[in-house]
Amino acid sequence: MGSFKYAVRDGSRLIIRHWGLSALTILTSMAVFYLIGASVLLVLNARHIVNMLEGELSVRAYLTSRANPSEVVETVSAIPHVVQVGIVTKENALEKLKARVGDWPTVLELLGENPLPDSIEVWVDKASSVKGVAQALTAITDISDVVYAGRLAEKLSQFSHFASQFSLAILIVAVTASAVVLFNTIRIAVYSKEEEIGIMLMVGATPTFVAMPFVLQGVILGGLGSLGASSLLAFSYKGVIARLKDILPFLPFLEDGVVIMELGLILVGAGATVSLIASLVAVETFTKKAMKPL
Amino acid sequence: MDIRFSGVSKIFYPDITALEDVYLEIPKGEFVYLVGPTGSGKTTLLRCITREVAPTRGQITVGSFSLRKISRVDLSIFRRDIGIIFQDFLLLPHLNVFENVAFVLEVLGAPQREVKERTGEILDQVNLWRRRFLYPPQLSGGEQQRVAIARAIVNAPSVLLADEPTGNLDLHTAEEIMQLIISINALGTTVIMATHNQYLVDAYRQRVIGIKAGRVVRDEKRGRYNLDGEF
Repeated sequence: MGSFKYAVRDGSRLIIRHWGLSALTILTSMAVFYLIGASVLLVLNARHIVNMLEGELSVRAYLTSRANPSEVVETVSAIPHVVQVGIVTKENALEKLKARVGDWPTVLELLGENPLPDSIEVWVDKASSVKGVAQALTAITDISDVVYAGRLAEKLSQFSHFASQFSLAILIVAVTASAVVLFNTIRIAVYSKEEEIGIMLMVGATPTFVAMPFVLQGVILGGLGSLGASSLLAFSYKGVIARLKDILPFLPFLEDGVVIMELGLILVGAGATVSLIASLVAVETFTKKAMKPL
Repeated sequence: MDIRFSGVSKIFYPDITALEDVYLEIPKGEFVYLVGPTGSGKTTLLRCITREVAPTRGQITVGSFSLRKISRVDLSIFRRDIGIIFQDFLLLPHLNVFENVAFVLEVLGAPQREVKERTGEILDQVNLWRRRFLYPPQLSGGEQQRVAIARAIVNAPSVLLADEPTGNLDLHTAEEIMQLIISINALGTTVIMATHNQYLVDAYRQRVIGIKAGRVVRDEKRGRYNLDGEF
């Protein structure tokens, strides 16, 4: 109990004594863990969008100007795995477009006569059937173009894969940078108490006892940095998603509060763990050297 | 704790011989003076006992501890039973007298009540209780040395090592310190004191071990400082 009290008292003193360095370390950890959190959120969002789009069971097929929509519906209904087919007339499509552009009616005026084609919306029985049905639709001469979410999902999947690798690289660089900064902070603190530690070791203090205040100092600094990063990330993520939804309303972004909270907790845990290891290495290197006989 | 040196030699890189083939036997509770010219190996011998220096050859045992191969945890436990007084005191300037002494018990994890009681008793013993709130720079050399002694004995060690404890003090103060160390020895603590103070060695006759160029050149039960110009 006495040892713990000593560690808390001395750990706090170390933080206050080197307050400038402490603040700098907290800020660095904060920046590093914010960067890590942001890149993880990017990857999570890409995966979330891919999963959502892959689960989309409808295919849109645009008809040529000469096509008879009813005949096309009949042909398409006969394709295996198709469960439902609906017609979207060019008039309906224009109404939807008007509703979407809202404040910019002049754009529609500029278009003049309705340039939109008739189209059909095809629902299939399961996600794995989407690609086959889309290929079958392409073969029909009355259909000029086929659009389905899976195509976007394929492209996004490639982006997601790249983002994962990029995120991993960021993670490695950022964690290393954070560990180095913390290691140096603790090392400076250790050297500032070199004489005291020397006397402590001479009177029989164990290396663990000597290390405790420094490790506590490191964990507090790293923990505070990552806690700050988590809070800032949660706060800024809300704003970023709100703006992205305005710009890209058709994309399903990740808005699950539990996931954001879990990510925050993982970041705090990772911050404390990295600090613990960096502090232990810094102080252990010193005590090992100090206890080594000449 | 008995202290035994068996054929101990220490050669510092590249070829400075600090100790050469030292055989010593110091029984528990004995008072030993280490005498010899500067650079003869007295401090190296003391530092071998605290394992700040590892012998190049030979074996040192202190009580049940063999110092040849000792783990870091065992070394910490071993050092708790050794008190050290340095010539230049090595007090922590940002701690007051009480804190400098209490520090030892704190780092050994003693409960706060015991730290207060024991530190109070020791400061009383070395006559520094009234100066307990002063800081090292506010004390005289003799007072600083008494703080260093209090710190060395506060956890009641079995062995007290003193490296020139009176080196920076006037004769009167040196005598005061000497009487304090003798009184600690009278309580059963083994004392090994490296000194250049001829007056003290001759006035307070004890076992004298003379060292010259790293070798033990004499070992007398109740010796004098400098016999016929030889150490």
